[in-house]
Amino acid sequence: MRFKPTSLLVHLVLLGGGLIMAFPFYWMLATSLKSPQEALQAKPIWVPERMKPSNWLKAARLGDSPLWGGLAPGRSVELVFPGEKGRPPKAFIPRAPGAFFDPRADGTRVEVGYGEGAWRVRLTNTTGEAFRFLPLVVLWPKEAPLNPPLPPDAIRSQGEDWRLEWVNAVPGALGYLFHNYLEAWYAAPWGRYFFNSFFTALTQVAVGLLLAALAAFALARIPFPGKEAVFVLILATMMVPGEVLLIPNYVLLARLGWLDTYFALIVPWLASVFGIFLLRQFYLSLPQDLFDAARIDGAGYLTQLFRIALPLSLPGLVSYGIFTFLGAYNALLWPLIVTQSPEMRTVQLGLQAFVSEAGSDYGALMAASTFVILPVILGYFFAQRQFIQGIARSGLK
Amino acid sequence: MRTFPLHAVLSWGALLSLGVYAARLGFLPQAWVVVGLGLYALLVLWGVRFGWRHVLLALGLVAYWFPPAAFLVPLLFALFFGRGLSEKEQGALYGWALVWPALALLLIWHVFPTFYAFYLSLFERVNFLRPAAFSGLENYRILLQDPLFWRALGNTFWYVVFTVPVGLLLATVVAILLNTQVAFLGLYRTLYFLPYITALTAAAAVWRWIYHPEFGFLNWLLRTPGLDWLNTPKGVFALLLEPLGVQVQGFWAGPSLAFVAIMVMSVWHFLGYQVVILLAGLQAIPKEYYEAAELDGASFWQKHRLITWPLLSPTTFFLFTLGLIGAFQVFTQVYVLTPTGGVLQDTLTLAFYLYNKGFRDSDFSYASAIAMVTFLLILGLTLIQRRILERRVNYEI
Repeated sequence: MRFKPTSLLVHLVLLGGGLIMAFPFYWMLATSLKSPQEALQAKPIWVPERMKPSNWLKAARLGDSPLWGGLAPGRSVELVFPGEKGRPPKAFIPRAPGAFFDPRADGTRVEVGYGEGAWRVRLTNTTGEAFRFLPLVVLWPKEAPLNPPLPPDAIRSQGEDWRLEWVNAVPGALGYLFHNYLEAWYAAPWGRYFFNSFFTALTQVAVGLLLAALAAFALARIPFPGKEAVFVLILATMMVPGEVLLIPNYVLLARLGWLDTYFALIVPWLASVFGIFLLRQFYLSLPQDLFDAARIDGAGYLTQLFRIALPLSLPGLVSYGIFTFLGAYNALLWPLIVTQSPEMRTVQLGLQAFVSEAGSDYGALMAASTFVILPVILGYFFAQRQFIQGIARSGLK
Repeated sequence: MRTFPLHAVLSWGALLSLGVYAARLGFLPQAWVVVGLGLYALLVLWGVRFGWRHVLLALGLVAYWFPPAAFLVPLLFALFFGRGLSEKEQGALYGWALVWPALALLLIWHVFPTFYAFYLSLFERVNFLRPAAFSGLENYRILLQDPLFWRALGNTFWYVVFTVPVGLLLATVVAILLNTQVAFLGLYRTLYFLPYITALTAAAAVWRWIYHPEFGFLNWLLRTPGLDWLNTPKGVFALLLEPLGVQVQGFWAGPSLAFVAIMVMSVWHFLGYQVVILLAGLQAIPKEYYEAAELDGASFWQKHRLITWPLLSPTTFFLFTLGLIGAFQVFTQVYVLTPTGGVLQDTLTLAFYLYNKGFRDSDFSYASAIAMVTFLLILGLTLIQRRILERRVNYEI
């Protein structure tokens, strides 16, 4: 292939635009791996400490398990600060603010000693319970060169000393990398949220698909009196914007006593005009001979639908499935209106609540955002072609 | 001899069961149900003329106590005795039986609510806590004098003016570049497409972080520390013209800075969708046209102005219509970026105002009036657009 200067220009323009499009994703990922002090910098930090593999190795040495860390009862961990022997550093476990009894601060023995050219901070768990994380503060003399065993999550100036803070002194490699993710995950019942979202979306896809396939087949392949009228009615419902339906459907759900149940999340969206149209288009494009042959072999309408039309319209089904799943999984307005209790929240509502509660903990916030969009992104990478074609198909009339 | 229209009984039965449910929930007077049952009984009586077994259909009358019976009894009847029916009758039966499940859901959740919204809008402050008084078109009169409604409408106007052309232009450029047999097509497409499948809730969390007044990336990039993008109610035109000493007020001050920030995120979010649709449209244009044009010595611009633009116009028109309709339904972006509707309600949109009125102030009738006016506006605009713009659209390839 011969080189064309214009193609370089094309690549430059596309790449520039693509980077702008992808930037928010990178920023989300980077922030989700930042400590609060790194996140709250006026000058942005492009590669946070937790993203660097060399730090993962350091973190793997701290804690019981190299992957997830932790400190079991009776076990101890040693943090090594190479340096000259001078004024000794101080180390302590910060108390949880407002806690009457804090097992971590009260039950951990902290020993600071010098040996073999390094200050050693030894933490021993004297309680009967295992710690998943253990915060630590070290006051390090300003005159001594600083060489910590793991980059601290925050460095502040405190009189004569540097105040080094770690959110977790026993992280393990993954516990270190995914600290914000773990924090975000344990802060809200995400398991429940994910179940709600998946259950809602998948039921909508499965039942909606069946109903749309039945109706589309009848409209495409069966001559029956009143077909035109039904078709016009379905067309007409496309003209009504979704906003109009909000209030009356809410009232209807309230009268049915379905508010704050799965019914409210699922049932109003089961019949999809888009799905009926899409599948009808597919069935119309199949050759009539196929159905005639089946008819001669004694196949009824249902057999024709399930044995011939449905398998042949698989791309249409996938397209509809992806569209419906995306719509249901990403929806905010409808779940916001029809659910109240935290048990019925979908992931989007959960994230929305988390955003308003997490305040300025941007690391945890971005971590939560990341795992909320992860299922869809993963789905996209596994079924890229189907995604693109499915979306493209929605534009064809 | 004419045969008994079993499909009519089936359809009437389906309507009857819906009617019984409606009556139970108080949407329909009981008398209508009795009339419906009477008509059903008459149909069955007429059926007796065609054979005594049609008496069995009378079982459907238990619909008064068990609503689905009116649909299920004719269905089962057809299954048991349908063997001897002619091809045409079978078609009619199957057609209606397959269409009804989806049709019933559409009637309940789309068609009925459309009329019910209008009905609700005729009352004075419906909130189901107390009986509401009929007030005719009073809600609409108040609405037309409501400054917040006009602000929401103005914002919708600016949303269309800003996002639709910008989005379409950018998407067309990207799509044309992607269509030049560029290498790494998949990578670029993924870059542009990912924002579209990302939930707006998660995306907005990132964008809020990018727009953050103190630690936001954008303020660092533009060297505008402290600029609070999402809480600046001043119009952008007013902001731009201020250094020139020109003062603009009201509508002509343009959308607020906060709303422009929301629009930027919306363009980012929807660009991938437009690119995919436009790319599909471009790929449908036969290559021969370009080859012929190249033989005639057409330049890059001429090719795209005289071939791409007219042949792509159906796709562009589709996306334009979609953008226009979508502008009236903008909710999620606004809710997640400015949950209170912005400072001085400067980011209010029609859907957001409807949500506020209905679900925050529990004034269902006023919210319904907003919904109906939106509906009419969309309907009117679509008709005008079809009349004026669609003439320029070239549907033949």
